[in-house]
Amino acid sequence: MRRPVILILGVAVLLAAAGCGSSGGDESGSGSGGGTRQVKVGVIPIVDVAPIYLGKEKGFFSSRGIELTMETAQGGAAIVSGQFQFGFSNDTSLLIAQTRGLPLKVVSNGVASTGQDNADYSGVVTRDDAIRTAADLAGRQVAVNTLKNIGDSTIRSPVRKAGGDPSGIKFVELTFPDMPAALEAGRVDAVWVVEPFLSATIGAGGRLVASNYVDTAPDLTVALYFTSEQLIKDDPDLVKRFADAMTESLAYADAHPDEARQVLTSYTQIDEAVTAKLTLPKWPAEINRESVDTLASLAVQDGLVTEQPDVAALLP
Amino acid sequence: MRSARSARWLGLAGLGGFLVLLELAPRAALVPARYLPPTSRIAGALADELGRPSFWAALGDTLAGWAIGLAIAVAAGIALGVLLGSVPALRTATSSTIEFLRPIPSVALIPLAVLLFGTDMRSKLLLIVYAAFWQVLLQVLYGVQDVDPVAMDTAHSYRLGRWARIRHVVWPTTLPYAATGVRLAAAVALVLAITGELIIGSPGLGREIAVAQTSGAVEAMYALVVVAGLLGVGVNLAARAADRRLLAWHPSVRRETGP
Repeated sequence: MRRPVILILGVAVLLAAAGCGSSGGDESGSGSGGGTRQVKVGVIPIVDVAPIYLGKEKGFFSSRGIELTMETAQGGAAIVSGQFQFGFSNDTSLLIAQTRGLPLKVVSNGVASTGQDNADYSGVVTRDDAIRTAADLAGRQVAVNTLKNIGDSTIRSPVRKAGGDPSGIKFVELTFPDMPAALEAGRVDAVWVVEPFLSATIGAGGRLVASNYVDTAPDLTVALYFTSEQLIKDDPDLVKRFADAMTESLAYADAHPDEARQVLTSYTQIDEAVTAKLTLPKWPAEINRESVDTLASLAVQDGLVTEQPDVAALLP
Repeated sequence: MRSARSARWLGLAGLGGFLVLLELAPRAALVPARYLPPTSRIAGALADELGRPSFWAALGDTLAGWAIGLAIAVAAGIALGVLLGSVPALRTATSSTIEFLRPIPSVALIPLAVLLFGTDMRSKLLLIVYAAFWQVLLQVLYGVQDVDPVAMDTAHSYRLGRWARIRHVVWPTTLPYAATGVRLAAAVALVLAITGELIIGSPGLGREIAVAQTSGAVEAMYALVVVAGLLGVGVNLAARAADRRLLAWHPSVRRETGP
């Protein structure tokens, strides 16, 4: 979810690890030999990745001979880790990484918007009475967790839709945990927050002005699980088994929101009273390709990338 | 003795007053309690943490990283320090390199650590060893330079070998310096252990702090910060106690513990 720089570094690590003959893995027979493979996945300890934890708990990975370890890296980059095979990252970071020539490939869907206005797990919140609609954000200071990434890219959509001029928004970089306090102290005019900070900010007297993901594309695919092209070449069977397990995990989490809320308490410190109430994202098994195309066009339009990303090559 | 005791009471009273202030400031709405909870609520969160197995695992990871990193840095610092200090040509040849490498902040090596080792313990160790090593090395170098030339000449006259000179002349002079270096290194190693975990995401207290932060668990986050602070106090006390034992013969310590 965070800096592309770290993402790129992480991907470099991923490639280096793959190049070393996946030294972390094959202890009990390799590939399709039926043995168990140790697989490390770089994730961020946030709501978005609940399905992979739930899927691990449910045995969707072990039944496919995958012994899963989650590496949680602060600063999001999902992939800041050593010998790991898969990573989790938002679409925009992946698109940026791809245009910079990093050989990576998406293996499965990650997380999606609920698609419902005013009922998404992401939104722009303000305490300023002068900001009535998204159009009023023009010329204001809006906090995002990473500049030139999915946050500012998607926040411009509701502003355009409401007839405002998105070029006038002054984006400021703050971490999500810092945003509620910054908004309350008036250091910024509005903040873009995701759960659990969205409910926290609104609970503390904030007002939702826009559901930025919803306004960007219907049922926007926000983030994806990916791997290196090297691993796809070296061990296509492992990649397929992981993708299958991931698909099953996503479908299960989407169908069992109560269990998804429960699993949050195992890898985050989110208060139980909060997990019971927060808005969960959607976890569809299928990637919404059109929405990734939309993000790619926005990335070009907003100057996040210098060339058109090849979405078809990135997605499976 | 009486003055020492009253100083201790005054210190405790100061700490108590500070805690009361931290309790009252949010309650009086001087600072928003949502972002700086009163001490009592942090204490409650701390009690919760103490009941979680993952907390103890994280504490163990932090302490293991600290101890291993410090041990490597001390061993390398002393060995290299004595070597470089006793061979003037080596000392001259390396001094500019040392002066260049020493000021590089360890955290600047985080990208390198991540590239080499990912998020596992070795990333953290790289940062700890790099930061702690210079503290020990420099002190040992100073110590070796401080050897009394007359004592050295005497040792030469008695035809003591190189090893015996190091053992009986250089080392006793260097030890108090090395002890200072180790004490500094112990504190720095803890700082880097927590920093590494916080930023890189290696297992340990720092990572728990980061998880609590990304979860919006403000009280748990402060509770873990308090634990990190207590660790710092513990490390400092242990280092001072070790100093006193190791250097019981040395004038600087003898005076301190005298009547």
